[in-house]
Amino acid sequence: MKRNTIVGGAVSRRVLLRGLMAGAGLYLLPATAFAAISKSTSSAIVFDGNSLIVARGTSLLYRNGSQNWTALPKVSEGTILTFTTHPERPGRIVGGLDTGGIVLSVDGGKSWDVRGQGLPEAAVTAITTAVTNPDTIYAAIRGDGLWQSDDAGQSWVFVMDRPWLANAERDLTALSSVDLATGMGGIWLYAGTDTGVTRVPDCFCRWQDVQPGDAMDALASGKQATPKVPLPEGEPVSALVSAVSRPATLYAGLPSGIWQSHDAGVTWLKRSEVIATALAVHPLRADDLVIVNNDGVLQSPDGGRTWTAIANI
Amino acid sequence: MIAVSPGSLVTGLMAGVGMALLSGVADAGSTPENLTFLEKPITPEQIALGNDVYAEFCASCHGANLEGQKNWKRRLDTGRMPAPPHDASGHTWRHSDLELYAMTKFGIGAVVPGYESDMPAFEDVLSDEEIIAVLGYIKSVWSDEERAFQHNLNPKDGRAK
Repeated sequence: MKRNTIVGGAVSRRVLLRGLMAGAGLYLLPATAFAAISKSTSSAIVFDGNSLIVARGTSLLYRNGSQNWTALPKVSEGTILTFTTHPERPGRIVGGLDTGGIVLSVDGGKSWDVRGQGLPEAAVTAITTAVTNPDTIYAAIRGDGLWQSDDAGQSWVFVMDRPWLANAERDLTALSSVDLATGMGGIWLYAGTDTGVTRVPDCFCRWQDVQPGDAMDALASGKQATPKVPLPEGEPVSALVSAVSRPATLYAGLPSGIWQSHDAGVTWLKRSEVIATALAVHPLRADDLVIVNNDGVLQSPDGGRTWTAIANI
Repeated sequence: MIAVSPGSLVTGLMAGVGMALLSGVADAGSTPENLTFLEKPITPEQIALGNDVYAEFCASCHGANLEGQKNWKRRLDTGRMPAPPHDASGHTWRHSDLELYAMTKFGIGAVVPGYESDMPAFEDVLSDEEIIAVLGYIKSVWSDEERAFQHNLNPKDGRAK
């Protein structure tokens, strides 16, 4: 199968579109189903094992282990803004809705149940599953804060207000459970906002900046911590994920491009100027990255250095 | 009062703990079993002192019954978070002894650099003995499960896991 591979960091929209047009015949995309979708439509993407689920506006696409895409039934309750899956729950996909609440599928997106009893009636802007507990789900609610469910979305409790950054409360644009110890008997939740990345321990004591190492180690030793190389200050984060197979590897989608960190967000390196509105990492391959943007769905096998257009939606 | 700078926190604190605990090591009969601070037993006298210190310096924000401020998970208009509970419903028991000590003595920013909080540093207000006593008192109200969980956050060198 011919693939539309684009090498290098800088990829223009024109080049991408040309590549997509060349490969368009290879996809089993029901073109009429997606023709009316605006280029500014919301999007979400997630791996379910080797399969991919993409939400673009109200439309849903599914790609199994092969290269074929099929349309899934639409969710009547609203538009899915965000997805989460867990490697120990194959076929289970949870989506956060713009109308509030969540939907859950246990058959790879063929059918959906509405859940989210107790959640505020406001958009679920970001959602993630606890890496260490597949039945614990976190949902970020627009204008409200962070909620937790320990029964796969049946019931919810409020756990944390929104982060305070640059003199204002910030809605979460992305949320990722990161399997790295906090020193408080748990792991981290990393979040994207419209003004950068922040994180909170899963005991929800306080939102905080990413710090190199452990603050108590630095305090005890009196040694200077490793210098940080942060993301560009003030840039909105449209997507943020941790690689399950290599938790310290993070990817962030910003207006300036795709950024990668190998040390849990202490230092960041720009990998590409491709813009992503949604982003996902393969559960077993930390360098296997997929994104959604206004040009469609792109895949990178090498951590964002090169990209192949895999769907034009 | 024992002088402890952040740069020599562990060494200074361990020395301070030894001094603070000397007064009542022999009688631990009415304290919860295995109640320690940095691996030293906490005595009934220390808990009594801690109760007094808590009532004078902590209860106005954290609540007379350690219940925290109302709606403590919701941010104040100032952007800062209300004082959390110190009982099981809060997250105090998710911090190691050294973290609790550092936050109390030097302020939250000692553990979370740059974090802005209404809680002051008590470095110039309370002695090390009083800080250890009040933290021992707070630990005494936790359940065995919470104490066991928190104990596991304390490696032998006093630093958090």
